[in-house]
Amino acid sequence: MNTFSEFIGSFYLWREAFIVASVSGAICGFLGVYVILRRIVFVSVALTQVSSFGVVLAFYIQTLSIGALATFVDPFVFSILITSLAALFFALKKNYFPVSQEAIIGFGFILTSALILILGSSLPHGADDIDSVLFGSAVVVDAKDLFIIPINALLVFVVHVVLFKDLLFVSFDTETAKLFNYPVEVLNIVLYLSLALVISLTTRALGALPVFALLILPPMIAFQLLENVKAIFILSMVLGIVSAMLGYYFSFEFSLPTGASIAFCASVLFLISFVLREFKIYLLSFMKKVGI
Amino acid sequence: MEHGVIVNFDDVGIGYEKRPIIARKLDISIKKEEFWGIIGPNGGGKSTFLKTVLGLIPPVSGTVSYEYNPVFGYVPQFSNFDDIYPFSVKDFVAMGRYSRIPVGGSIKKKDWDKIMQCIETVDITHLLNRPFRSLSGGEKQRALLARSIAGYPDILILDEPTASVDWKGEAEIMSLIASIREESKFTVMMVSHYLDTVKKYSEKVILIDKNKNIFQFGSNEELINSTNLSNLFGIDIKVENADNRFSSIV
Repeated sequence: MNTFSEFIGSFYLWREAFIVASVSGAICGFLGVYVILRRIVFVSVALTQVSSFGVVLAFYIQTLSIGALATFVDPFVFSILITSLAALFFALKKNYFPVSQEAIIGFGFILTSALILILGSSLPHGADDIDSVLFGSAVVVDAKDLFIIPINALLVFVVHVVLFKDLLFVSFDTETAKLFNYPVEVLNIVLYLSLALVISLTTRALGALPVFALLILPPMIAFQLLENVKAIFILSMVLGIVSAMLGYYFSFEFSLPTGASIAFCASVLFLISFVLREFKIYLLSFMKKVGI
Repeated sequence: MEHGVIVNFDDVGIGYEKRPIIARKLDISIKKEEFWGIIGPNGGGKSTFLKTVLGLIPPVSGTVSYEYNPVFGYVPQFSNFDDIYPFSVKDFVAMGRYSRIPVGGSIKKKDWDKIMQCIETVDITHLLNRPFRSLSGGEKQRALLARSIAGYPDILILDEPTASVDWKGEAEIMSLIASIREESKFTVMMVSHYLDTVKKYSEKVILIDKNKNIFQFGSNEELINSTNLSNLFGIDIKVENADNRFSSIV
């Protein structure tokens, strides 16, 4: 076990990873509010898995002897492309199949999970590579992640700030939005593509499990504690950052897998918020009973 | 288009593709400042007709045209809203103003002034910061009404605006709608199951039941009678025109 001073003293070791995780926590926490509001948790799981599949597929293609093409297959770009296609499919909600969209999402999840394991097993590093992609066991991030993730996160954030009222309106009341001539499909695509972009970039850097945790748990905590939409978005971002920071710290302190540590910290924060909420409800009812 | 007509149905067929047609070859002119009541049993096609007027569903045949680009105000049934959204009453009513604010634009001070005026008109200023989802049925209807007029509409569409309120609440909401209309002079189209309310406020009436192939429209006096209503609802309904009373014998 390391001490806090050793953690601070090793700043140069974890600085990049810490920054990338914090930025990922912030943007995932922000977008996660839409995931909860639109009740598309399963879509975000599927996109996270599709993104992991994109990374594994890119690794797999790189191992094939197909000449120059292999060197151009970047896991980042490949993952973004494949996840964006899946996001477009979900955003447009066309009924291509005679079953519910949830069933199709389930199909996509199963297929990509199976392919991750099949293709991953034939990679030179096999299970280690898959673990890295799915659970984010990598403590050190690529140098390019340090620029690409913050720049893209900022871009997504700016677009969402500009379209804040519109994306919320379309999410809440699609019918009236159509009546007011709002470009409902375009706004849906913007939302789903921004999810795809953020999920692809952060999954590559952190792993599927922590990204899913950062998308779902911070907004769940914010929804438990607050009743104001803007405040929920802000708190969710802050909690995303805190979860990522705590996850990295405990990972360093106790030599835990980083991704799992982030997901666990976010889960503990959620449980604490649940207890706080129940306590608040109990306290209010007690105060009402005794006439305070 | 004839002067004063705001929405015109020319040889229009109403319905969804691959489903039974609700009505064919309709020629209806909805004029400025008219009050239309729409009645019929559940599942009869009332909402589909309204959505065709609103342009949310394209006609299966013919043309629906508008005199200019009218601004619609819409009061859907509030059960349509997901309670997961923690919007305050103020934010909820503000959405009605979005018909006048472009995508990417923000709500300016003059918009907030109009929004606050609407909140005052329906007398819910004391609920301003309460979450919409925590309101009672009557309070929600008032908030919905404020939202629908916040864009200063040319046509106000009301889909069962008093469905979830008691008799007192129903009378209050209808009286509020009547007084706002008196001042703002917009066209109203209202779906309601309260026959006496439709009889009292509407100048024109539409009777709809796709399952019995009924689609009649005309003046209130002409259409609201015992024969038409008994036929529409499948029960004996007696209309006493003298004091707008209805009685039914199942």
